[in-house]
Amino acid sequence: MKPRALHLCLAALAFLTLAAIFGPYFSPYSVDQISQTRLAPPDSAHWLGTDLHGRDLLTRLLFGARISLLVGLVGATISLFVGVTYGLISGYLGGRIDNAMMRFVDILYALPRIVLVIVLISLFDLKLKHLLDGTFLAPLASHARLLLLFVGLGMVEWLTLARIVRAQVLSIKERAFVLSARLIGQNTPTILFRQILPQVIPIVLTYLTLALPAVILEESFLSFLGLGVQAPLASWGTLLADGAALLNPIRTPWWLIVFPSLLLAFTLLLLNFLGDQLRKLQK
Amino acid sequence: MTLCRGIPGLLALLFSLLVFASCSSRPRADLIICNGAEPQSLDPAIISGQLEGRLTTALLEGLVRRDARARPVPGCAEKWTVYPDGRTYTFTLRPNLQWSNGDPLTAEDYRYSWLRALDPATGSPYSEILYFIVGAEDYHSGKVPASSVGIQVVDDRTLRVTLLNPTPFFPALTSFTTYLPVHRQTVEKYGDRWTRPENWVGNGPYRLLDWKINDRVSLEKNPLYHTPDRVALNRIDALAVNRASTAFNLYSGGQADVLLDKGLIPSLILPELRGRTDFHPGPLLATYFYRFQVTRPPFNDARIRRAFAIALDKEAITDKITRGNEPVATALCPRGMADYQPPEGHSSDPDTARGLLAQAGFPNGKDFPRVSLLYNKSELNEQLAIEIQAQWKRELGVTVELRNQEWATYLRSLDELDFDIARSSWVGDYDDPNTFLDCFVTGRGNNRTGWSDPTYDSLLSSALAEPNPARRLHLMQQAETILVTQALPIIPIYHFIGCLMFDPTKWAGLYPNLLDDHPFSEIKRAKN
Repeated sequence: MKPRALHLCLAALAFLTLAAIFGPYFSPYSVDQISQTRLAPPDSAHWLGTDLHGRDLLTRLLFGARISLLVGLVGATISLFVGVTYGLISGYLGGRIDNAMMRFVDILYALPRIVLVIVLISLFDLKLKHLLDGTFLAPLASHARLLLLFVGLGMVEWLTLARIVRAQVLSIKERAFVLSARLIGQNTPTILFRQILPQVIPIVLTYLTLALPAVILEESFLSFLGLGVQAPLASWGTLLADGAALLNPIRTPWWLIVFPSLLLAFTLLLLNFLGDQLRKLQK
Repeated sequence: MTLCRGIPGLLALLFSLLVFASCSSRPRADLIICNGAEPQSLDPAIISGQLEGRLTTALLEGLVRRDARARPVPGCAEKWTVYPDGRTYTFTLRPNLQWSNGDPLTAEDYRYSWLRALDPATGSPYSEILYFIVGAEDYHSGKVPASSVGIQVVDDRTLRVTLLNPTPFFPALTSFTTYLPVHRQTVEKYGDRWTRPENWVGNGPYRLLDWKINDRVSLEKNPLYHTPDRVALNRIDALAVNRASTAFNLYSGGQADVLLDKGLIPSLILPELRGRTDFHPGPLLATYFYRFQVTRPPFNDARIRRAFAIALDKEAITDKITRGNEPVATALCPRGMADYQPPEGHSSDPDTARGLLAQAGFPNGKDFPRVSLLYNKSELNEQLAIEIQAQWKRELGVTVELRNQEWATYLRSLDELDFDIARSSWVGDYDDPNTFLDCFVTGRGNNRTGWSDPTYDSLLSSALAEPNPARRLHLMQQAETILVTQALPIIPIYHFIGCLMFDPTKWAGLYPNLLDDHPFSEIKRAKN
C-alpha cells in the first residue's frame, strides 16, 4: 500500500475541483465573451490560446470542468442511490423477487446505454422545458438538457452497482448479526439500512470513484455529438467537438484539440487511479 | 456439448458474413461528390433545396436543361417558339424520347407532372414557381379545375403553355426541379415509395442505382437517355456529408473528387485555399439570412425584429466566420441581378436597437421570453449561430438558445413554423429579383415566417404584370423596401461567394456560376 500515491491523487483532484469552482472568477475573460483575437495560439494573454470566436480557452476549460464534474458527480450519485437501494432489496428478499429484479437488470444491461440516454434526451427535452416554464422552476428551463443528462446518465449507470451490492448482501445476510437483528424483531427496512448498509459502504465508495469517470466520459461523448450541454455553456465534450470541427490537413489550431483532450484524459486517469488505490486499501 | 460444437460453426458463419460484406461493396465510382446533407427526398415536386435539386436534375430532365455555365440549352424539347404577345410558348419535344424503363415520353408526361406539382394534395412547397402559367395559382388553391390551367398537349411531341404575363425567362425556368417530369404509372403505383432505387423510373442522363441513407446516392448512366454520348461518366456517387471538416478531409485524402458547396469548405482555411489551383471562387446569387416566426410573441412585434436585426455587427461575422470576403447583406436580393438595385437596408446600430427593445417592454433584455435559434447541422451554421448569439447577448442582453436539427427535420420545423428564429439561405433560381422576393408573398411554400402584407403582395403582382422593365424593377424595389426596412420578417446577413473545389488537371465541365448550378452530366475528365 502506497498512501503517498493516494494522497497525490487526492491532491490533484482537489486542485482540479478548486480550479473549476474558483478559476473562472480569477480569469479576466468570461466564458462566452467573444473578441477580435481569434484563434490566437497560447501566449501570455491567453495561456491556452483562443478559439474561433476569440474566447479564452483556459476560461472555457475551467468552466467546462464545472459542468463535466457536476454531471459526473450528480450522475454517479443518482446511480449510487438507485443501485444501492435496488441491490439491497433484491439481495435481502431473495427468491422469486430477487430473480425477477435481477432479470430486469439483465434486460437493461442488454440495451445500448448511450442510445437509451439519447432517446431520453430527444424525447423529453422540449417537454421538460414546457413543463418547467409554467412553474417557479422556470429559470431552470433553459437547462432542461442538463437536467436530463443528470437523470439519464444516473439511470443507466446503476446496474453494475446493483449487482455488486446484491452479491454482498447475499453473503452478509447469512451472518450472525443479521440473524440476531431479526430475532430481536427489527423490521426489514431497519435491518437493511441499519445493519447491512454500513457493511457495503466501503465497496460502494470504491465503485463511486469508478462510476464518476464513466459518467464524465459518457457526458463528453454525448456533448461531442451535440446532444449534451448547449452553447454558450461548455463542457469538455463540446470543447473537444469545437476543436475537432477545425481539424484539417492545412492549418489546425492544435491547442483547441490538445488541451481539452489532455485535461479530460488526465482527469479520467486520476479518478480511475483513485478507485484502484481505494480498492487496494480494502484488501 | 451441443453448444461447444456449435461455436466453430457460428464463427465460420460470422467470418463468411464478414468476407461477404466486404466483397459486396462496389468498385469506386468514376466521380465522388460531396453533396451536403442527406437529401429530404428525390421527388421533384416536394423539394426546394439545392442539394436535392442537383440530384434530381441528374435523374430527370425538363424541357430545357442547364449547361455547365448554367445557361439554358435544349433538354427534352428540341426547340420552342413564342407568340408575338410573349405569353404563349410552344415546345417541340425531341423525337423518340424514352423513360428509363423503355416507355415513350410524351408531352402529356409534362402536363401530368406540372399539374401534379400544382395539385394541393401533392403538398409541393414550391408550387409557386409554376404560377407564371395561366390558372396555375387558382388551381392550386382549388378555385378552378385542372383543365383551366394553361398547359395544352397539342400532340405527343408538342406542348403549348399560356402564361399570365410576358416572361422572357420562362424557357429557362422549365429546367428547374419543380418543372421536371415524373413517370405517371410509377408514381401512381408506388406512391411515396416511387423514389426508391428499385422503383425508380426517370428520363435524365443518369438513373438511380442506389440510395443509402446518410451515406450516398449512387447514380449510373442512363442508356436510354436521348443523347447518351453527351454523358461522360458512368457512375457518380453523391456523398451525404454535412460537416465541412469531414468533407474537406475526404477531399484531401482523395476519397471525394469535388466539393460542391461553400458550406463544405472549412471557412477557417479559406485564406490559405485562395491561392490554390483547385479552389474556384465566383460570384453567386445567394443570401444567408435569419427568419423570424412572426405569428407569435415576441417576434410578432416589428420593433423587436428590427432591434435584433440592427444589433448585429455583420462585418464582424463575415470577417471572423465566413472569411471569404462575402458582401454584408442589408437587403434580401444580392447585387448584380439584371439591372436591379436592391434597397439600402438598415446598417448596424446597437444603440437604436436597445431603444427599440426598451420601447417594446424589455429594457436591457430584462424578462425577455425564452427564444431559440434553429439551424440545420453544419459547422458554418453553428459557428455563425454562436457568434450571433454572443452579439445579441452583448448588445441586447438577450440570451437566445441554440437548437440544431438534421436537414429534413429542420425543413419540417420551418414548414410547421415550429421555431422562433431560424437560419436560412436562398439561392436564386433564375436571374430575376422575383426569385427572391416571391418567397415572402402571403402563403407561399417558402415564406416560412407566417408573415403577410397585402401591400407587398400587390406590389409584386403588379410588377409581374408590368411590361416596362424599368417600372417593373422599381415596383420590385418598393416591395423589397417594405420587406427589409419596415416589416423585417427576415434579417439578411451576407451574400454568398460561390466556391467549388476540384482538381482542374483531373476534372472539367465545372464552372462557378451565378445560380450555383453544376449539372453532373456536364462533368468530364480533363484532357491532359
